[in-house]
Parts: sequence; structure tokens; C-alpha cells
Amino acid sequence: MGNEVGSNSLSRRQLLQMIGSTAGSAAMYQAMSSLGLAAESPYRGPIDLKTAPKGASVVILGAGLAGMTAAYELRNAGYQVQILEYNNRAGGRNWTLRGGDRYTELGGFTQQCEFDQDLYINPGPWRIPYHHHGMMHYAKVLRVPLEPFFQVNYNAYLHSPRAFGGKPQRYREVKADYQGHVAELLAKATRQNALDASVSKEDQEKLLESLREWGALDKNYAYLSGDFVSSRRGFEKKPGGGLSGRPIPSKPVGLSDILGSGLWQGVASGDEYDMQTSLFQPVGGMGRIGEAFGRELGPLIRYNSKVTDIHQDDHRVTVTFVDNGSSKTAQSVSADWCLCTIPLPILAQIPMNVDQPMASAVAAVPYAAAVKVGLQFKRRFWEEDEQIYGGISYTDLPIMNIGYPNTGFQSSGKGVLLGAYIWGLNAMEFTAMTPQERVRKAVDYGAQLHAQYHKEFDNGVAVAWHRVPFTMGCMGLWSSDSREKHYDDLCKIDGRIALAGEHASYLGGWQEGAVTSALDAISRLHQLAVAQGDKA
Amino acid sequence: MKRPLQLPLAGAAVLASLAVGAALADDALFTSRAGVGALTGAQIYDHICSGCHMPGGAGATGAGSYPKLAGNQKFVSWQFVALTVLNGRNGMPPFGRPADEVAQVRATHLSDAQIADVVNYVRSHFDNAFKPEVTAGQVAALPHPKSGLIGPQ
Repeated sequence: MGNEVGSNSLSRRQLLQMIGSTAGSAAMYQAMSSLGLAAESPYRGPIDLKTAPKGASVVILGAGLAGMTAAYELRNAGYQVQILEYNNRAGGRNWTLRGGDRYTELGGFTQQCEFDQDLYINPGPWRIPYHHHGMMHYAKVLRVPLEPFFQVNYNAYLHSPRAFGGKPQRYREVKADYQGHVAELLAKATRQNALDASVSKEDQEKLLESLREWGALDKNYAYLSGDFVSSRRGFEKKPGGGLSGRPIPSKPVGLSDILGSGLWQGVASGDEYDMQTSLFQPVGGMGRIGEAFGRELGPLIRYNSKVTDIHQDDHRVTVTFVDNGSSKTAQSVSADWCLCTIPLPILAQIPMNVDQPMASAVAAVPYAAAVKVGLQFKRRFWEEDEQIYGGISYTDLPIMNIGYPNTGFQSSGKGVLLGAYIWGLNAMEFTAMTPQERVRKAVDYGAQLHAQYHKEFDNGVAVAWHRVPFTMGCMGLWSSDSREKHYDDLCKIDGRIALAGEHASYLGGWQEGAVTSALDAISRLHQLAVAQGDKA
Repeated sequence: MKRPLQLPLAGAAVLASLAVGAALADDALFTSRAGVGALTGAQIYDHICSGCHMPGGAGATGAGSYPKLAGNQKFVSWQFVALTVLNGRNGMPPFGRPADEVAQVRATHLSDAQIADVVNYVRSHFDNAFKPEVTAGQVAALPHPKSGLIGPQ
């Protein structure tokens, strides 16, 4: 929502802060849990299904992470498994666009990715928090090497065209100044006895000591230019060696300017549980995980298969599909059980005989608009000129984010960065443009943060998730009321059919949601299958 | 895929500097949430709806379909169209959620008058000629999405 200046609505964080400050941290934690924010991945180590009943079979719809996680585990347990996949590749939203790739979105707009070798963007997920244990497990099992993803880069920017004359500010400076001024104010209030009612005298001493440390305050508890402050926000002239090495401290920005800029809203960018160090990315792009799963499952996946009907009776599930590539004649596969991971906007249009509560749940979840734009430049000017190595700059321009590559540092030649990562209204508006217009607008806006943009721009690709033929939207958006009314009905097993995917999780939009929902669903399917026993 | 930071650099001081109704202020192609209220039915179609329903209301088909709006006989019912815009349908986001909740749904809020305007637009364009025109009052009388905070994203 970064760009949606003008809202007077509460952001979720503001709401939580309000709850926290009025009702205490326990209430805030409870509110966070009900919003799902503090939810830990439920993954607790490799699943053990023991042995499948003799002859039992499962048809899985969708070779994304949910479908392939399920296929991998069910196959290992001895089930006969077949996956039907709409695309001609494995992975679904786990996807990397590289030079030479061709992508046609809904409406027929085709893009040819012209990135140089080894350069890429991830149109979908791009980071794996360390506590997404399921994702970490499968990356390891599939031998997909990981490298660090920098969520917070102190030398990247916070930017608004309406703050500091439109000049991007280094995260490091905004954070140090915001924190320093707040510490100074709190120290002042403490020393003026304003906190006597809530903090004991003994604790006040400790509080003052901690504020000095936290905010880089001087001996008088003031936030003033000097070596201590510059050790946080950086020096005007950095310390060096020899006669020329004497540093010059920098000058903090005043409290009123920091508050007025609104840039303080970016300070907590790495504090959320999902964004806390360490985060990872697969070497070579997020799509490496889906590709590795695809290789592992090999012939179990039937590609180019568009599902048109899902029908169950007392004994089996029959799935009808057409082949995208060749014949348009309907074919079908049958199995004892079906795990369906098809995204809900598509599944809602496919005839499937489940009960009314599940059918209502399938139709009840709107999908978010989101857009990513990858831009190739002739050189890595963000590193060469601005010393930004990985991480993210935030802006309230419609592009919202600029993500710098967390790999290939200091390499010569071209570089690709994420030139836009957009949600909400502006994502819808970017979606309504042609891919070429999206790229052009991302370059125009990004030039407000990096003056080198127009001179160095080479080519770009843009993915708008509502125009992605295999999902028709980025991710399921649950509301607290829709979750209460529909979530359990979506996740329960109806006869012989179970659903899985990020939409069937409390980790919406995260790959870990897909993985854990699949494991949850197949555990329950397995119990049913075992109860029915071996087949004759 | 996960949302980026919820970073609405939309502090009160920033808000105060924006003229109300400054739709399309930055750029003819983009609106701010403050400015979206000034969009006409035609602008709403071009800037929002056409992302999925395509220019000219042509619709599109992949693993599923976005319905073609041109010559769509369901449009004989204005209520069908208005309820779809208000509440969404299948994966389509709702546009009738309370204005103070759109941050959580990462969507946008259209007023009843705007919904009437865009309903009239799609029923009278793309070879459609459905009558009568709808008013904001008629839209207001339809069920709107239930209020409720959006969950974990």
C-alpha cells in the first residue's frame, strides 16, 4: 500500500501498535495471533506416512510446491501417484524468469526475456525465512543450494517524493535519527520525573543507561552530532588511515523533519517475524526448487494438462483434462483419492462434486493483485556508484520497492534488479497496462531514486499476477470473517477430495503455507486410506 | 509473493499536503487512494477492470477464464453486475468493502456512485446496450461486503 497516500485508514501495524499501547503486549500478541502474524510454521520435521495401503492411488492436480510436496511424500510411502499440471514446467508460482524465457500472459501479450546469462527475476516468491522449516527441509533434500537474502540493507533507501525534496535517504540515517530522537525524548521525560508513576527510581537509572546505548546519546542524554552518533548514522567523512584519515562526523536530521517525512514507517522493515534475519534464496533463482522437484518426480507429472472436470463417487475420483499442446480431446485419469492444489479462482470454475460448504469456500476467496518488474541495466550502478549490495529500497511511488540482486556482487557486465514490487490499487493499474508500458513506468519512477536509470537501462520484463494464466491472481486474501465462515470447509476432506495450497493455510502467499497445507492434507488422506485397507 | 512491507508512507503530515481529489496527480496512469474517488466509470474500467476483463471487454482464457463482457447476456440484470463489483466473484476482489478496510484487503474502495457509474459503463459499451441506467441509490440498497479485518498476509 506504500503509494496509497491519502488513506486515513489504519495500517495493520498501526492497529497493532494501538492495541499494544492501550492494552499491553499480551493483548497485542493475541491480536497478532488472530491476524496470523505471529504464526509459526507448524512444520515439525519430515513427515512419516509409514506404508501406503497396497494398490492405493492418488491423483494430484497442480505441480506447484503443494502438489509436488504431496507427490514426493506419497510416492515415498508407496502410493501410485500422478500429477496433472497446466504449464509445461514444474513449480507453479515458484518460478524464475531468465534470459531466453518466453512468457505469454492472459490477453495474449507475449514477452521475450532478454536478460544476460545468469541474470533473473523471481516473479513470485523470492525469499525463504529461516523458520520456514518445510521449505528449508525440501531445499536440503532436493540439494538446492541456498544463499543469503538481505531483507534489510542499511545503505539502501527510504524514499518519498514529498520528503527531503524527493531525495532518497539512507535507511541507516533515518533509523539512527528516529531512534536517537525518541531515546532523547524518553530520557528527558524520565529525568523530568514524568515517568515516576510507572517506573521505579531504580529502573529509571537502568532505563536511562539503556536509552543512551540504544539511541547513541551523549553524557547529557542528548542526540547530537559526534563520533557516537556517526558510528550509527555514518560519518560525513569516513575514518581512514594515515594523515588523511581523520573522520568528520555527520549531522543528524531534526526530529520534526524525520516525523514529517513519514520515512520512519520504513524503519521496522526487518522486525517482522517473517522478515527477520536469516532469510535465504536459492542460488540461481527461486525456481530452482520447483525445477528440482520436477526432476525428482519425473514421469509422475503430466504437463500441458488443463483440468476441466473433477468427479468423485463412492470408489474413486475421475479427473477430466485436455492437453494444451496437441489434441483438444478430453482425457481422464482415475485414482482412489484426489489432492487438488488448483488456485481458487480457477477451481471455482471447474465442475467438482463436493458438498455445498466446500464449494462455497472455493468461491469465497478473492485473489490479490500484485506486479513485479525486472529491469536489466548495462552495469551494476547501485553497487558501483551507491554501494548498495542487495536488499531493498522502499518508496511511496507506485513501484513501491526496488530490490537489488543478493548475488553476483561486483561482477562486471550487466545486472538485473527488481524494479517494482506492487500491491493494491496500483498493482491493479499496472496490470491494466501492456507489459511494455509497465516496464517503461517502472524505469520512469525508479529514476527518482537512481538518476542512472535512463542512461543505463537495457531491457525488462513485467509480470502482473491477475494476468498469469495458471493462477489468475497472486494469492488468496482471507478476511477474518471469511476465514471463520469458510476456512475449515475448504480444508476438510470431502469424500475422496482434499484441497491444498497457500490458500489453504494461515501462511497466505508464502511457499511454506503451500508445503504445510499439503502435508496436513495428505496426513489426513493417508489415515482415511489406511482405514480402508489394502485393495484386492 | 508475500506482501512487501506494509509501508504506507502516508503519515498525517504527508496527507495534509495532498489536495483532496488530486486524482491522477502524479501521473495520468496512476491514482492515489485519496484520488481514486474521483475516477469516472470509464476510467475505472480502463485503469482497473481491464487488467482482467481486457480492453474492449474481450475477456481471456487460460487455466480458467475471465468472462467476456462484450455481449454478455448476464448483464441484462444490473443487479448481477453491481453485486459482482461490490462483493467480488470467485477470485475477483470486492470493491464495496468499507473504505477504512481496503488497506487490509490490498484492494480499493469505490463509492456506490462510482459502482453505479462503472455498471452503467460496461452495460452500455462493448456492443452492450442494456437499460435502464442505475443510480447510486439503487446500488446503496444492495448487500455490501460484510465488514471484517483481513487476516494474515
